[in-house]
Amino acid sequence: MKSFNINGSTLSLALYTDVANSKELLESMQTGTLEPEVAFLNALLIPNIFPVLAAAHKTLVAKSRDSLTTRTPHSELVYNYSGSKHITESLKRCGISDSTTYILAARLDASPDEVQAIQKLINGKEIDLEELEGRANLSQIQKHYKISASELGVSSLADAIVCRIAARDAL
Amino acid sequence: MATETDSRDSSLTLLKQGAEARVFESSFVGRKCVVKERFSKKYRHPTLDSKLTLKRLNAEARCVTKARKLGVFTPVLYAVDPVLHTLTFEYVEGPSVKDVFLEFGSRDLGEESLDNIATQIGHAIGKLHDGGLIHGDLTTSNMLLKKGTDELVLIDFGLSFTSTLPEDKAVDLYVLERAILSMHSSCGNVMDRILAAYRKSSKQWSSTLNKLAQVRQRGRKRTMVG
Repeated sequence: MKSFNINGSTLSLALYTDVANSKELLESMQTGTLEPEVAFLNALLIPNIFPVLAAAHKTLVAKSRDSLTTRTPHSELVYNYSGSKHITESLKRCGISDSTTYILAARLDASPDEVQAIQKLINGKEIDLEELEGRANLSQIQKHYKISASELGVSSLADAIVCRIAARDAL
Repeated sequence: MATETDSRDSSLTLLKQGAEARVFESSFVGRKCVVKERFSKKYRHPTLDSKLTLKRLNAEARCVTKARKLGVFTPVLYAVDPVLHTLTFEYVEGPSVKDVFLEFGSRDLGEESLDNIATQIGHAIGKLHDGGLIHGDLTTSNMLLKKGTDELVLIDFGLSFTSTLPEDKAVDLYVLERAILSMHSSCGNVMDRILAAYRKSSKQWSSTLNKLAQVRQRGRKRTMVG
């Protein structure tokens, strides 16, 4: 697991492939018994970590003001990453489903114990975050974020996603 | 477990101060960024003030992202903060077109690169206008040339709005024409080259340029009675 500093808080990220227990993870998350609480993101939609950091930044700002839209900071992270205002749809598309095998796990302000607990939680192979770029599903990203060809002429996929995350509430 | 990317968002360095906003340099999750803060006007009623500020903040965020969707280089929007009234943008390295044009008089910049810049300006405005976006404050200081690639980046969409009227587009071009005429007379006929490029990239060039001829005769404001 790798940690990133965002305004004094940390975001710990780990990327997994061949995850076998996503059904159980999803169930325990939905019943609220996941310990520690983690955000699971559909890694196919993530071209690199920068948009995730931007979404986390937004989450932390909202958390510090007690203005979270969803119930927990971790579900808020998934919701923010989607760049859409539809919560259910966001969690479905950018979160995980029964059959997801490629997952980015994220935890805000994780202690070393929690990091170990998360690693035990997920039944899969941890790979380097650098692999995100090669494994991302470009056409799925373009479709989900509605990124046109003319925008891609002046922007990378990651930057286009960041713009949508940032501008969502202004639209 | 290793901690990467040190972000100290508290370190703000003032870059510029205008009538509507202050611009700071800072960092956003490990990247260099620009923070634009719209400050409150003490002479306005507090309720009206916060409403106007928020409305303009959101409008600017919308217009910057819309311009990108139309295929015009603008800084990446990193964050919008409706409480602090700030927008956080990517930091674009490079000189403003204003500085480049001003140097044209003293050092020889080369006709070729002047032509290139003018063409890029024309194309960018053409794309904006065809998409129904009016920049509202086209001056050479609101255009940057990205270091290394020399791509034209438009900034400051604080006065932007959406419109498809030839009138609004013509006034947008007229403002630029006046700015170039007064600042960059030594650069010769840049405006002609900009308009030539505009004509090529905008499908509705004809009605806009006709209107521009009218606007030239009467000035930026439509009616002089009041």
